[in-house]
Amino acid sequence: MLKRVGNTNDSRSDETFEIVGSDIDQTTSVVAVKGELDLTTAPRLKWMLHDLLEAGRENHVVDLTETTFMDSTALGVLVGVNRSLGEGMRLVLVCSRPNVLKIFELSGMDGVFTIVPTLDEALQRARGQAAKAS
Amino acid sequence: MRSASKPTRSRIQRALVAVALAPACAALAPASISTAAAAPSAGASRVARSHAAQPAHHGGGRGAPTTAGAVTTSQPATASTGTAVESGASSSTLARPRNAERHGTRGRSRSTTRSGRASSGGAASGSGSSGSASTVASGTRRTASRGREGGRHREGKRLSSVRSQGRRQRKASVASSTPAASPVPALVATHTTAVSTPATIASATPVAGSPAPVSRAHAKHRVRAAGAARPRASTGGAPAATVPASAPAPAPARTEPAATRRAAPARKRAASSSFSSSPIVRTFTRIVNVVPVPIRFVMGILLLLVLAAAARSRVTALRARRLEAQRQELLDDVGLLQAALLPLPPARLGPVGTSAAYRPADGPGAGGDFYDVFALPDGQLAVIVGDVAGHGRDALPHTALVRFTLHAYLEAGLSPRDAVQTAGAVLARQLGGLLATVIAAKYDPRERLLVYASAGHPPPIVIGESTIAPITVASSPPLGAGLRTGSRQTVVSVPGPSRICFYTDGVTESRVGADLYGSARLTGALADLEPGETARDLLDRVATATDSRPDDMAACVLSIEDGEGEPSVLVEELELDREEAAHERVERFLIECGVEPQGAASLLRSARTAAGPVGTVLLEVRPTDGSPEVALRSDNVALLHTRQARRHAGIGGRR
Repeated sequence: MLKRVGNTNDSRSDETFEIVGSDIDQTTSVVAVKGELDLTTAPRLKWMLHDLLEAGRENHVVDLTETTFMDSTALGVLVGVNRSLGEGMRLVLVCSRPNVLKIFELSGMDGVFTIVPTLDEALQRARGQAAKAS
Repeated sequence: MRSASKPTRSRIQRALVAVALAPACAALAPASISTAAAAPSAGASRVARSHAAQPAHHGGGRGAPTTAGAVTTSQPATASTGTAVESGASSSTLARPRNAERHGTRGRSRSTTRSGRASSGGAASGSGSSGSASTVASGTRRTASRGREGGRHREGKRLSSVRSQGRRQRKASVASSTPAASPVPALVATHTTAVSTPATIASATPVAGSPAPVSRAHAKHRVRAAGAARPRASTGGAPAATVPASAPAPAPARTEPAATRRAAPARKRAASSSFSSSPIVRTFTRIVNVVPVPIRFVMGILLLLVLAAAARSRVTALRARRLEAQRQELLDDVGLLQAALLPLPPARLGPVGTSAAYRPADGPGAGGDFYDVFALPDGQLAVIVGDVAGHGRDALPHTALVRFTLHAYLEAGLSPRDAVQTAGAVLARQLGGLLATVIAAKYDPRERLLVYASAGHPPPIVIGESTIAPITVASSPPLGAGLRTGSRQTVVSVPGPSRICFYTDGVTESRVGADLYGSARLTGALADLEPGETARDLLDRVATATDSRPDDMAACVLSIEDGEGEPSVLVEELELDREEAAHERVERFLIECGVEPQGAASLLRSARTAAGPVGTVLLEVRPTDGSPEVALRSDNVALLHTRQARRHAGIGGRR
């Protein structure tokens, strides 16, 4: 299932923000973010993840592979989701871009989130965690 | 003057009255006879006048023939002349003829004016007094001169001259000229006014028989002229009205019915005509009559629309003025609030030049940044710069909360790391889910040491002879994230001239094309600052160099002078609990500080042991040219140690 939530041209015309949510199975969902996560686009990620939490998904993978920039607002969104995870639920981030990793590092959040370089690894972690929980 | 001239006047007037009255008695009506009979007594003559005046107004209606009208019109002039002589109120006297003339100028006024002149001329000639003549003359100059002329003539001659006037005057003059031979004058002539009054009555009466009909216009303003005289006539007549008991009442009585019969309708007509005869009204009526009815409606509607538009524009203008006033008030309030939240730092604190600046975002992100620069009691200088991630108005109360909380802890003597750590524990609940990144710093001018601790905030740029490359690995998370923070602290030595710039991420995240402005460019801009330039200038340069600034920008610059030597990091501190010590990023931190990987691993094992199950351990890394010195301080017991450790353990369990 593919849910296309938003596709908007930012003020910088060469940058296109896109956020795509997909369900891998009953318990795991992947949200792929393309472009910049900032003050204007972070709320989309927030509501997307919020809907998935409401829908009862337990394992969430946010794929930031194609995310070029994150600001503190986006960090706040991820922190909020991380905090609202219930028992046995998990949030895994996929990120390999140095500049985005640097943002996590600078903000001190790299110690809080599980950040892996590839989507496969993320799914593995998420499912492994799910299997462990069940 | 007047009293002196009285005898002469009365003599001449007597003759004149004879002239005027005789024909009235003989030829025209019994009214004149009755007036003549009444004449001997002065009181009676007054009565006669008062009565005569009344009919004169009534009788001078539209339908009144020329004779009546002409003589009636002469009434005011004469009456006023007489009264002026008595009362000496020359100014009020003047008004009459003028009035008469003013009315007379409208339409065909000649006969009116002339008749006025004739009578006044008569009066003047009768009195022979230049005083009374001039009284009239000021009203109608030509009349006066004519009057004087007339005065010079003997009666016979006057007859002819009056007659010549009378030709224009029609019957009135005829009436006055005819009776020259009459014997009656002696009886009548006691009062000047009385003279002409009976004449008026006389002439009013014969109306029916008048051979010379006059146009309505004539009659109309004759009425007006008579009307002008009315007040005086009535004042004159009022006291007299009581007297006539002795006088032959029948005379006026006989006159009155004839006059009043005509009077009622005439009065009405006079009233309506005097209204409609106003030139403005007439012109307007004429115009209105020409306009077709539908057009009139359209005109009416247009008029209403114009009125509505005018009213609306007025209301709008008033509202705009009010809104402008309110806007100004709000701007003033905002200015006060902003001043309260973003204080202007002193230009210098001790030996350090300080400046701070704030530049709101272009977009909706404004309002989240804050700063504070202040001196501490121990001679140190404190700096706080932060950013509440919520932005906008929602963030404002939180920016103040965070700022003042940190300010208090720094003021209380806590180190920056302890201040941030404590604030992180205290504010976690109050921030209500908002993230706040913050950096707190102290600068000791004597030791030339800068100590700073960050919570998710970019480290300061320190440039002197060289630029410090801060280690950002294992940074502390922001306030409000529900995580233990304030675990890192850095001590920098600033021996030589240097600039230290604290900033918010709005500065480095502003855009140059598709790129971020970045800390490298900011470092360049800071180095380019002239001596004496401030944080304001720095932000202006950033603004000039960037295309868009989606977030607030705040910057605080410390300028340190004198001394020599390049700035360097003296100590990097990291406080860890047992679980944190197991994280790979601590190892990265040690490696980043120059510790050998193997040494790092053994250090971490030691640290975990030192921390114990609920305690913490402080790693102090002192960079050196070779391998850095690393110290483990397990005795570092932070404030709220146990509580934080427990909370953190709970959070860690979820990870």
